[in-house]
Amino acid sequence: MDVQYFATFRDLAGERARRIDEPPATVGELLQALAGRYGAAFRRAVFDGERLSPIAIILVNGRNVHFTGGLDTPLAPDDQVSIFPMVAGG
Amino acid sequence: MFGWTGTILRVNLTKGKVSREATDVKLAHDYIGARGLGVRIISDEVDPKADALGPDNKLIFAPGPLTGTFAPSAGRFDVITKGPLNGVIAASNSGGSFGPELKYAGYDALIIEGKAAKPSYLWIKDDEVEIRDAAAIWGHTTPDTTDLVRAATDEDAKVACIGPAGEKLALLANIMNEMFRAAGRTGVGAVMGSKNLKAVAVYGNGAVRVADPEAFKAAVMKSRQMIQAHPVGGAGLKAYGTDVLVNILNQIGSLPTRNYQDGYFPTADKVGGESLAAKQLIRPKGCFSCIISCGRVTKVDNPAYQGAGEGPEYETAWSFGPDCGIDDLDAVTKANFLCNEYGIDTISLGSTIACAMELFERGVITAKDTDGVQLTFGNTAAMVEMTRKACTGEGFGAKLAQGSYRLAESYGHPEYSMTCKKQEMPAYDPRGVQGIGLNYATGNRGGCHVRGYTIAVEVLGGAGGMDPRVTEGKPGLDILFQNLTAALDSSGACLFSTFGIGGPELAEMLSAATGVEYSLEEFLKIGERIWNAERLWNLKVGFTAADDTLPERLLKDPIKTGPAKGMVNRLDEMLPGYYQERGWDESGVPTKAKLKELALV
Repeated sequence: MDVQYFATFRDLAGERARRIDEPPATVGELLQALAGRYGAAFRRAVFDGERLSPIAIILVNGRNVHFTGGLDTPLAPDDQVSIFPMVAGG
Repeated sequence: MFGWTGTILRVNLTKGKVSREATDVKLAHDYIGARGLGVRIISDEVDPKADALGPDNKLIFAPGPLTGTFAPSAGRFDVITKGPLNGVIAASNSGGSFGPELKYAGYDALIIEGKAAKPSYLWIKDDEVEIRDAAAIWGHTTPDTTDLVRAATDEDAKVACIGPAGEKLALLANIMNEMFRAAGRTGVGAVMGSKNLKAVAVYGNGAVRVADPEAFKAAVMKSRQMIQAHPVGGAGLKAYGTDVLVNILNQIGSLPTRNYQDGYFPTADKVGGESLAAKQLIRPKGCFSCIISCGRVTKVDNPAYQGAGEGPEYETAWSFGPDCGIDDLDAVTKANFLCNEYGIDTISLGSTIACAMELFERGVITAKDTDGVQLTFGNTAAMVEMTRKACTGEGFGAKLAQGSYRLAESYGHPEYSMTCKKQEMPAYDPRGVQGIGLNYATGNRGGCHVRGYTIAVEVLGGAGGMDPRVTEGKPGLDILFQNLTAALDSSGACLFSTFGIGGPELAEMLSAATGVEYSLEEFLKIGERIWNAERLWNLKVGFTAADDTLPERLLKDPIKTGPAKGMVNRLDEMLPGYYQERGWDESGVPTKAKLKELALV
């Protein structure tokens, strides 16, 4: 599984991407593992207490997990995960 | 009047006559200002069948009642005219400081009529207005024009001007102000050029009075705090600019690639906001009264594409980048600089070059047509060369400067023009994002994202968003955004203030500024009125329901690669509901009952 970071998450993670050889079963578990790796600032950016932050955009294979089960979204070994802060433009 | 100045300035270039009239209070209340006021004036004073590049068209510069106050990001104004690209009422919105200066000079609108006998520019200093000879500035780029005009008028004057593209009546020509802000779309620059008008310089010693200073101040401070607290309005846009969208649109598989032939571009990151911040950004920049500072002051050191200026924005980085199969940010930014200097719409020109690339690769046109240039996707040097030629109007560039619809049609293949109502769509593939497709198709000025930016909810909405892949609920979403944006545009506020505040806050500030009690419902109703007025004009010009559509590619050809592979836009599931919810008949014509409700009869 490839996890890619964008915008401020590149600073929070200190890297652009990470390959995960044994991905966890769900998005929630993945984010917990990543937060454990990257620290408190990363944790605050992806979690709102125990819930998924309403202003984080987590995509699994291009789908926003807010529409696929949130933290319970299942993960498969070949999945592509993209993590964005809330962004905007036009 | 409060918020409004109470005065409209009218300049007839044919007669060389300057006059003033009182702002119609009822019109101001019912249409607010800027876009709304301009739409009403054009509807009342210009024949829909008039030649957009003829002397009977009118060109209006109009700020809103909030413009020039310290409401957050309240520096906007609109340029309103019959747009020559497609005949709609073009209301092209810009930022910077020109709008506030027009208010300080004392005007709710500047209406320009007729055509000057020779190249001219306007110099407005409060109530002194001169029509001056522009022989010395005709032919100059927009930055040089701005400097020359300031030297001849006042070093603090704000200048809106056309570049050589507008002088040559290119249908993609824009109007630039403060050198780097653009009233970009629908060919408003060509209208200005058709009037032999090179520039408008304005300086004002006045101020904007508000009806209830204490209530206004409280409403403004509350709104400022809400924007500051918002992750986008308060920090994100300043850090990365709008170009930050490249990666998220690509990651959802809806970044239009190679003239919308696909929705995913593997090297998109190279032209995204993160790369821009790392390689080219000098500093962020904000417009008048803006705390968001989405603007980019940038430079390119690469000798091949050396330059300095502002931008690119997301749509620009997309149009000269992935839409042309290009991932060279230096080249993209150079194209952006050229367009600013020569005064041409970056969205439409990039998309037109992409169209030409497809025509070339399909063998419809050859190097004989393209002045010997191998105009293939991914050919960076060719893209920059064609941008330059379009800007100067030379060779094949003169055709590019008329837009992709006329280009493709002239070679017998209009289906390769990625336009709605002849205006190029921007940087969101509606096959992966259903609601923006409905917005493109029903947009009053054609392919346009800003007037109904459902992307904010469908892609960027976080927990409060809507699934971009479903069509359910999208008619209502589009209508809400279209109505709200029409009212917002008319107030003088910036669209990006909605990263933080919404209709209630805008209505509150507008009420305190003007002394007119605007509820949220009334604010949205005004937006609906403006939208329907624009629609009525379009019907008179000859648009029908058949024009509320997307290029066939987006309805029939699935995205080829990436996360949205296999998808098309399902417009037929959304359009009937849109008409119904709008109170229009099945042909997309506003019913008598709806027009009566909106006081449009």
